[in-house]
This record gives sequence, C-alpha cells and structure tokens, in this order.
Amino acid sequence: MDGEAAQQDGDACPYDPGGLGREATLLRATLENMAQGVAMYDASYRLVTWNQLFREYLDMPDEFFDNAHTFQDYIRYLGARGEFGDQVDIEAVLARRLAQLDHSHRFERTRPDGTILEVRRDPVPGGGFIAIYTDITERKLAEMKLREDEEQLRAVDAAAPVGLVIIDRASHLIRHLNGGMSRLIGREAATLAGRPVEAMFADPDKGRELWDILAGPPVERREFILPGPDGAPIWTMVAHGDLDFRGEPAIIATFVDITDRVQMEQQLREAKEAAESASQVKSAFLANMSHELRTPLNAIIGYSEILSEDAADNGDTAMVADLDKIQAAGKHLLGLINDILDLSKIEAGRMDVYLEQVFLNRTVDEVRTIVGPMMEKNGNRFVIDCPLDLGSLRTDVTKLKQSLINLLSNAAKFTKGGQVSLSVTRRQEGEVGTVRFEVRDTGIGMTEEQIGRLFQAFTQADSSTTRNFGGTGLGLTITKHFVAMLGGTITVSSVPGEGSVFAIELPAEAAEAPPAEAPVIDGGAPVEAGAITVLVVDDDPAVHEVLAATLGKEGYVLRHARDGIDALDIMRRDPPDIVTLDVMMPKIDGWSVLGIMKSEPELAHIPVIMLTIVDDRNLGYALGASEYMTKPIDRQRLLGLIHKFTPGEEGGQVLVVDDDPDVRAMVRAAIEDGGLHAAEAGNGREALVWLGAHPLPSLVLLDLMMPVMDGFAFLSEVRANSAYADLPIVVLTAKELTESERSYLAQNTLLILNKSAQPIGTLGAALSAIAGRSRGVGGKSAAGKAAPGGAG
Amino acid sequence: MATILLVEDNEMNRDMLSRRLTRNGYEVLLAVDGQQGVDLATSRRPDLILMDMSLPVLDGWEATRRVKAAPETAAIPVIALTAHAMEQDREAAMAAGCDEFDTKPVELPRLLGKIRALLGEEG
Repeated sequence: MDGEAAQQDGDACPYDPGGLGREATLLRATLENMAQGVAMYDASYRLVTWNQLFREYLDMPDEFFDNAHTFQDYIRYLGARGEFGDQVDIEAVLARRLAQLDHSHRFERTRPDGTILEVRRDPVPGGGFIAIYTDITERKLAEMKLREDEEQLRAVDAAAPVGLVIIDRASHLIRHLNGGMSRLIGREAATLAGRPVEAMFADPDKGRELWDILAGPPVERREFILPGPDGAPIWTMVAHGDLDFRGEPAIIATFVDITDRVQMEQQLREAKEAAESASQVKSAFLANMSHELRTPLNAIIGYSEILSEDAADNGDTAMVADLDKIQAAGKHLLGLINDILDLSKIEAGRMDVYLEQVFLNRTVDEVRTIVGPMMEKNGNRFVIDCPLDLGSLRTDVTKLKQSLINLLSNAAKFTKGGQVSLSVTRRQEGEVGTVRFEVRDTGIGMTEEQIGRLFQAFTQADSSTTRNFGGTGLGLTITKHFVAMLGGTITVSSVPGEGSVFAIELPAEAAEAPPAEAPVIDGGAPVEAGAITVLVVDDDPAVHEVLAATLGKEGYVLRHARDGIDALDIMRRDPPDIVTLDVMMPKIDGWSVLGIMKSEPELAHIPVIMLTIVDDRNLGYALGASEYMTKPIDRQRLLGLIHKFTPGEEGGQVLVVDDDPDVRAMVRAAIEDGGLHAAEAGNGREALVWLGAHPLPSLVLLDLMMPVMDGFAFLSEVRANSAYADLPIVVLTAKELTESERSYLAQNTLLILNKSAQPIGTLGAALSAIAGRSRGVGGKSAAGKAAPGGAG
Repeated sequence: MATILLVEDNEMNRDMLSRRLTRNGYEVLLAVDGQQGVDLATSRRPDLILMDMSLPVLDGWEATRRVKAAPETAAIPVIALTAHAMEQDREAAMAAGCDEFDTKPVELPRLLGKIRALLGEEG
C-alpha cells in the first residue's frame, strides 16, 4: 500500500482506467493545487481519487489509499479513533452520513486537535460522490473573536456608568442611546432610538437646550442638568464631539453624573457663606463690644488719674505708685481692645484706606512726639534721620503713623539703654517712587524662629513684656496688614543680642485711585438725570484723583479742568452745579476765575468752593490792600484803622464796600462815631461807579466776597488805575478758616477750604449741604448773598 | 477764668472731666444732652464747648450744627469728643462744624493742649 500511495504521489494517476493520459495528469495537477482536501468515491463508495490535502486533513493511514477502501471504512476508522467524540455510536453516525449522500450537503466538524473542517459532499452523475474538505479554523476563530468583541462592546455600552448618546446631525434623530443614559433619564433606550433628541425629556425645552449645547462647537466640558427618573435634577458634565456613524455625520455626547460633586460644592459654599457671615457677626460683635468695654475703662483710667493727681498733691507717693499701676493696666487693656478692634475690622474687610498727600517731615515729627516718652522710659537714645527735602507721599496717614509707632514702640520696649533710630529715605526707579522707613535698634534681637512667629497674632518673642504699655502682641500683625493695604512691604532682620531692623517700604503713590493723569477736560461722561455735577478746577492731578475717588463714590458726576481758561469754557458750555476752584493755577488763578464767574450772569449763581493753601491775607496784600481786617469786626480796631488812614482829617469820607447791609450799618455807625462820613456800596462794581462819580475818599473798607464784582476783582481794577494808586483800602474778610467763615459760607454757598489743614474727605459732606441748598433755592437766587453771619 | 461747657451724658465721664478741668483752672458748665448743651451755649456763652457726639435728645453733631448756625454762638469753638477713634468720626465731627476732635478716654494733657490752643492761651 505504501507503493500505491507513492505511485499516486509520483507520476501516475492511480485512477486512469480509460488511459486518458494527459487529461488525467491535468486533473491531478488541478486537484493538488486546490486549497481544499478533495476525495471522490465511486458508485459503490470506494475512494478512488484524492489529493494530498485530503490525506493531511484526515490524517489517514496509507493502507486506506488502495482504491479498495470504502467510505464506510473511513467513517468507522475515524469514529474508532475518536474523531467524532469519545462516546458516540459510530454505526449511527455512519447511518446518518450514508443517508445524506444522495444529495448535496454541507456541515462543519471540529476535529479533536481543534481544527475546524467544513465538509461538503455532492453526488456525481452516474453514482458516487465528491467530498470537499475546507480548513475553516482561522475564519471560524476570527468570527468568534468578532462576536466576542461585539458582545464585549455591547456589555460595556450597557454597563458603562456614563450616559452616551449618538444623534444624527442632520435629522436630530437619536441613533443610539446607551444603558447609562437610559438609567440617567429613566427611559428605555428602545423607546428613544430613532426619535428626535427633543423627545428625550418630558419638557421639550430641555431637549432644545441640550441640542443647543450639542450643536455648538465641541467643548471640553459643559454642565447640564438632566431631569432624573423621579424628576429630581441630575447635574451632568457633557462632552461632545463629531462622529461618522454608519456613513452619516453624527454627534456623540457623553454625560457624566456630577450631582454628588455639585451638591458637595453647594454644601461647601453654604458652609463658607455661613462661616463668613459668622465672621461678620463676630466682627460686629467685637466692634460693639470694644465700644462697650471702652466706657468703663474710661472711668477706670480717668478716676485713677484723678486720684493719682490728688495723691501727688498730698505727697502720698506710695499711693501714686499704686494708682499709676491701675492706670497703666487700664491703658494696656485699652490698647488691647483697640488692637482687637483693628484686627477684627481687617479680617472683616471693613478697614478702609483714606489716601491723602502726607508730608513726611510732619508725620515723623508727630510720631516722635508719641514715641519719645517710650524711648526715655528705657533710657534709649532716639535718633531720627529724615532729610528736610523728603517731600510727601500719597498714603493713609493714620495707618502709616500707627505702623511706625508700632515698630518704634517695639524697638523701645526690647532695647534698654541703647539706641533706636528711624531713618526715612526716598528712592526713585523710573516712574516708580518708594519711601523706606527703617527702624533699627540695639536691643535683644531675635532668633530665626522668633522672626518666623513674628507676624502671627497674639505671639511675642518675649511674653513677659506684655505688661508694658501697648504690648498686645497684635501690633506687628496689624502693621503687616496696614502696610499691605498701602501697597507696601515689611521686612525684618535681626541678630540675637545685637538688635533688629524693621523696614517698611511704601509706594510714593498708593494705588487705588483712578489713573494718575486724569484727562484734562472731561466733557464726555453722560450725566445721569438728577446727578450733581461738580467741576474740579485744579492743576494738581492728585486733587482730581482724590476728588474723583471721594466724590465719585458719593454719586457726584465730576468734570475736570486743569486751568482757569478750560474751566470757564466748560462752565459756559454746560454750567455745573458746583465748582471747586484752586487758587494757585497757571494761566489765570482761582480768584480771577471767581471774579469772571461772578461777573457773568449765567455763572454767577454757581456755588464755588475755593481750595487754597494761600491765606486771604497775603493775597489781599498782594492785590494791593493797605490793611487787612478780620471778621467778626472788632469795633475798636476798626476805629483805629480809620484813624490811621485819615490822620487829622475831619469830615473825610470812608467808602464801605460790603454786600451785607447790616455790616455796612455797623461800620457806618463806627465811622460816624469817629467824626467821619460814610458812603456805601453793595459790591465792587457799585464801588467803582461811586469812585468814578465822587472825589477820592479817605479810605475804602472792602469786603472780599461779594456778588457781581468781588473784592479781589475790585482791587485789581482799582490798582490798575493810576488815579487810585494812593487810595487806602482796608480789606475786611472772614479770618482764616473758622466757624464765622463757615457760617458765612453756609449762607452764601461759598466755601473756602484750606487744603493744608482740612481733610479733603470732608468735602463730600460740605458739597452735599451746598448742593441741597442750591437745589432747594434754585438757580441764581442761591448765589444772591445773604448777610455774612460773621459780622456782629 | 475761661468757661467751658461740657456736654456729656455719661455721669462718670462728666464727673471726671469736670473735676479735672476745674482742677486746671477752668469754670465748667455741665449739660447732659444735646438740647441742654445748645440752650446753655446760648444763655451762658461759654468760651469753649466740649461736645460728646453720642448724646440723647439731640446728638452731638446736630447740637454742634445748631450752635454753629446761630450767630450769637457761632464763634464758640467746639471740640468733639467721641469714643470712636475712627477717621470717619473725625471727619463727620469736622463736617458738623467742630473745630477740633479728640477721642475718649480723654488724655488730659492732649485735650488741655487743644483747649488752650483754641482759647488762644499760652501753653
């Protein structure tokens, strides 16, 4: 049989009874080149033709290939070998196989070695059949793999804890909706597939809202609230992107449930708000409590002081010492309360910053006065290095002073019999100016660790010193906050046993206000109906800034002019409700502007607040006044002046120029008592007219603030005319910036503020008073001058 | 001898301050509320007024405004006394027409300095 098999493998075909020769060779070649195993059986089911693959697939012994073995032999053999399974009835298998041979059939069979064969049998004409075996193992495995993958995907899609929806871009129809999504919204995927996206929720608006998000550009993430199965909102994070779904442009969107996180955030926010409100309640409580604590403390400190004075008078020194201790303890407690109040205000964000121009030398002097006694107490030498030409900086003077006092009192406290120095220097780097305050002592110094704890509330390097005045342990904490509020920094360096250096650096211009260079003219901002417009006329940008910051906050609408010419232009174009007027300005000064305003009917009624650092007296002299007299008028001094300028004259005439008839009457009486005649004029214009029509008087008594033409304008006119060159003029005006002037101003809606002495912040209150009045009276009559109250 | 009107509703503060002012050579008039203060200022014309700001009936700000509005009392210097050591308080007091400002508890030497300055006395 080996021979036959070899023969078949060799050159000849074992099945060539007709001697067909060449055709048989071709058939053989064809068979051998097929990618399938082929076996042919004759009518009596004997295997008559086969190819090599058939032998390989079935792994049959050689003896079966002798053209004598039948199909039945193979089946039995294979069955016995276990090809069809271990415990099968081989005869039954055979019977089944035989029964199928009269028609074409096909089946798959897995061999014990795992290969899968597809078997196909077709009857051939004239009896017998052909069997074709195909090894489909690979294909089957691939199919299986695909099926497994698909199942896996389906399971993932169904189980993923993320909602997933695929929507057709053109039609808005839902192409796919996964289990996660169906769980999120409580709807079966099957009921939604193929329906428009709007159908996803009971509320179609919700669907449209979602579509708007999905139709927009793909974004990383977006929050969207889904109605949950029970209607409760579910916060989700939506992400979406483009997808080519079965050949159609689609949108794929995922929804991640972030409800827990959102709720947690909400709880956190609520907790934070509760904490903040608690903190504010705490701060308010502290502020009130501090006030309540101060009242009894006031009594403790005050009475102990009285008793101490009494005891000193009685020579009871022991008692004085004890009483001083009570007093010192009381003051310490007071300092503590003040510090706590400050700190609670800082923490509550209720500590305000008032910026103003602060003169360094003056501030240092004030600080020196306060800390001087502390220095002496410990026998320290106090050295100040503050050059006279340091100028000013724009900051909050109270906070700056308190910070310096804190540092210096600390230095004094921790230094005994040594030296404490304060040096102030200015540095300019391009546009940025800084002022450095350095406090250096030769005291006990601090270790690194002590420095680390330095700015924490309620800690002191040496707790035994808290009994000293002011030693609350809060000073440096407060100082650090203050310095930060002023835009500065505080630094410290120290060597134990040698001393410490604390340095505060502040910007020369603390930020917070509008741009440094305010527009010269601002005619633009739309004026709110009913808003009070204030025209600020000043060549100093800082004044514009301060006023913008303080008045702007109060709801005033500000116009700005940098000189008198601009100011008049703006006023004529659009008269403001109030004008603040600087005196010293380029081009034309404030008094001239005031004079022009008072001479123009459209402007005369506008209340003017003069902002000046020049006192009237000098200006009056400069304008050519012979003498200067203040209101309220001192009768004796008036008489003295009259006599001074009318020596030995009897029957001479004195012109009284004042808009207040009461003043004129009072002055007339004094003049007539002095044996002179009096003439009266109600304003500068009237006085000029009078002068033109009469011989020169012996003396002119001149009020400064008058309608139509004021004293300043009158003086300018008179001094410009050589005919009046020798005319003696005594100026009558309110003295400096006092109560009489204020009541004068209160009645005339005209106010002079002394810039150097009066905090600019008080301007707001003054302005509202004026505005209220000028509104109430209305128009020009507001400017109509009533009696200056100072006289009398 | 200069006369000082002390307007203060707290009995202890009134007592302490009046005793110490008297000790320093001033004649002291006392008022316990703003209205009384205005009345006394008008009838007695003191040389100076020490005005607490939180007062019953009429508060210190209003009392000061009235004193400053009346021609016969307008010239009397007013020093505001307040327990609120705040810049706003100072400005509010100045806006009401006060000439000076001091905080409580009173530091007597400091207050005396301000009184003397306003009365034009030598230190």
